[in-house]
Amino acid sequence: MDGHAEFSNSYIQTNELPQVEELTFEPLSPKYRKTNAILNTVIFIVLATLLAFFKVQTFFDIADKPNNVITIILSMLTVFTLFSLVFQFFADACKSYSLREQDISFSSGLIFKKTVTQPILRIQHVELKQGPIDRKVNLAKIQVFSAGGAMHTFEIPGLTLSNAEAIRQFILEHKDVKDHG
Amino acid sequence: MDNLNAELEQVNAPKSISVEQWQRLSPIAMLYFFVSFLGVLASNVFVFVPAVIFGHKHITENPWLWTPILLVIIALVLLSVFLNFYFFKYRLANDHIEIRSGVFSKKHINLPFTRIQNVKLEQPIYYRPFGYTCLQLDTAGSAKQEAKVVALNIEFAEALKKEILASHATQHSPEKTADTDLPTQSLNNEIVLNTRSVKDLVIHGLTNNRVWIFLGGLAPFFDDIGRVVVKFFDDIGIDIEQLLTIADKSWWQISLWAITITFMILLPITLFSVAGSIISFYNYTLSKVEDRYIRRSGLLTKHEVTMKLPRLQMVIRQQDWLDMLLKRINLTFEQNNTIGHQAQPGAHNNKIIVPSISPDECQSLINDVFPTNKMEGLKYTPISKRFLLRNIGYILLPIYLVILGFMLYIEKTSALSWITPIFIFLSVLMCFRWYRWGYTSDDTYIYVRKGIFGIDYFCFPIYKVQQTQFKQSVFLKKRQLCTIKFILASGAINIPYIKEIAGYTLINQTLREVEEKPRSWM
Repeated sequence: MDGHAEFSNSYIQTNELPQVEELTFEPLSPKYRKTNAILNTVIFIVLATLLAFFKVQTFFDIADKPNNVITIILSMLTVFTLFSLVFQFFADACKSYSLREQDISFSSGLIFKKTVTQPILRIQHVELKQGPIDRKVNLAKIQVFSAGGAMHTFEIPGLTLSNAEAIRQFILEHKDVKDHG
Repeated sequence: MDNLNAELEQVNAPKSISVEQWQRLSPIAMLYFFVSFLGVLASNVFVFVPAVIFGHKHITENPWLWTPILLVIIALVLLSVFLNFYFFKYRLANDHIEIRSGVFSKKHINLPFTRIQNVKLEQPIYYRPFGYTCLQLDTAGSAKQEAKVVALNIEFAEALKKEILASHATQHSPEKTADTDLPTQSLNNEIVLNTRSVKDLVIHGLTNNRVWIFLGGLAPFFDDIGRVVVKFFDDIGIDIEQLLTIADKSWWQISLWAITITFMILLPITLFSVAGSIISFYNYTLSKVEDRYIRRSGLLTKHEVTMKLPRLQMVIRQQDWLDMLLKRINLTFEQNNTIGHQAQPGAHNNKIIVPSISPDECQSLINDVFPTNKMEGLKYTPISKRFLLRNIGYILLPIYLVILGFMLYIEKTSALSWITPIFIFLSVLMCFRWYRWGYTSDDTYIYVRKGIFGIDYFCFPIYKVQQTQFKQSVFLKKRQLCTIKFILASGAINIPYIKEIAGYTLINQTLREVEEKPRSWM
């Protein structure tokens, strides 16, 4: 930074530093949670209908045994879907992000919480992604790549398109990214 | 040959190298293409084996049919080798290297020198008599962008390499003008930091399992080796199958045999490991030119890895339990890891490994790259004992109990005699792991110590961190513990089960260090 041409190294109390633990997180778009729930339900209905169709249809004979297996699969699918619907409903509510001058954080996890912080200075490029369903509900996902590798791509899903664009613009206009990228 | 002389003249001329016309490689490159074809063939040998075995009789009985077919196949192979050579062209212009290759699917690579991260010279054994070498160019981008010029005169390659690296130096410090006689200058300034004798390499082979270098190459011949081994024992009057039926023998016989067999398996593995170590590290030198570290080694193929000091991400000091007995250390300099995942095994792609050095040598090398580090001097904070509770109490113990319950249920009480020792053994391993795991930091570096029987130290400058992660489950939160993770360009480092405050402090310090001064991490 140009302003810091003079060398200074005065003692700093640790609690005066910017603190990650005091970040104020912004929630994702409420549509994200809703879309996920609807999507899960739709997938479930399609699968269940297919299975149910095989069970009741009379076009060709199915022996008793596979018929019972279908019942078991169907009930397992129902339990699983109900569980994941409830779990995701609360887990999605935990997903939030926070933007500071110099870095961007994403927090997630219902039981196992995780906060990833990406210094903007280390960002190599930014991608804004919108799948067909995202487009329908006007959501977008932002992906940030650093030299940490594909395994550690920083990602914030479920942003409103305008928010996502604003974040992307914020990153691109960050002075250091401009200078180095 | 004229081209070559022209190239050489240009090397000596006091202006930058440029070969503006599209150039074909020396015909010697055909040898390279042929060998790589053989390599592909060898790795697919299993596909052909059944065909040859079943068709064997038919082939020998109908030579008038098969000889021409064989000849045609050989001709096709030679033709493809020739075409590969014919269509491989490169040119150098305006500090760019362009490579065109491919017979059917064409490939065109255009690389500006400034984007080249790493230049490696690789000299396969069959190039050595002719003085040729392969020039491998890595970029920071995707692996697809990697370029390899497969046959260059060694002097030309050396000069080109220096030119590329020099163009870097000028790019990073613009005040320095393009100093064209830099290459010759650098050549004289090369300081050898370390060499490894064959004795060191034997030790390295013993303490580190390098056997996979061998196994990789031998894979196609496993069947034959098995047959030969069995035949060998047959010849000296030992029937392996009879040896292995243990029903009618007393316990001391069995244990004696177990020991003998273990030894007989270990001995060749160790020998192969030593051989592997010598193959990859023979004639090892680590040298330094200005801020560039160069590793050269290899018995069959000479590898050369260059690393500029700013590219260094992390230093790893590794000591396995045998190393600790022998007081030897393996030191690794890790650079950008995101490139070239699919590299050859023996090449250790981008890392610079210094095998089996003494603690003094190790310390002086670490001090050479990270002058202010205190890897040895600092006290490491251990991770929480809850790590044990989680891994033994919540993972190992339940698994053990479930298996135990199941075994008792199906009335196999004898299973107790092997499940319990395994459980105890794993628990002991876990305790060692906990005991070893520790971390510390100073103003510039973060240090992590880990290991099970051996001890590994990791040290990285804080400002090279790419991303931080703070993880905390609800249970850990209650105990005010957390797990943190630092992501570097060379990989991730995890520190589990440390105090919440310590975790936050380390992350806050790291983010500040990274964000306050925009220093380049490479």
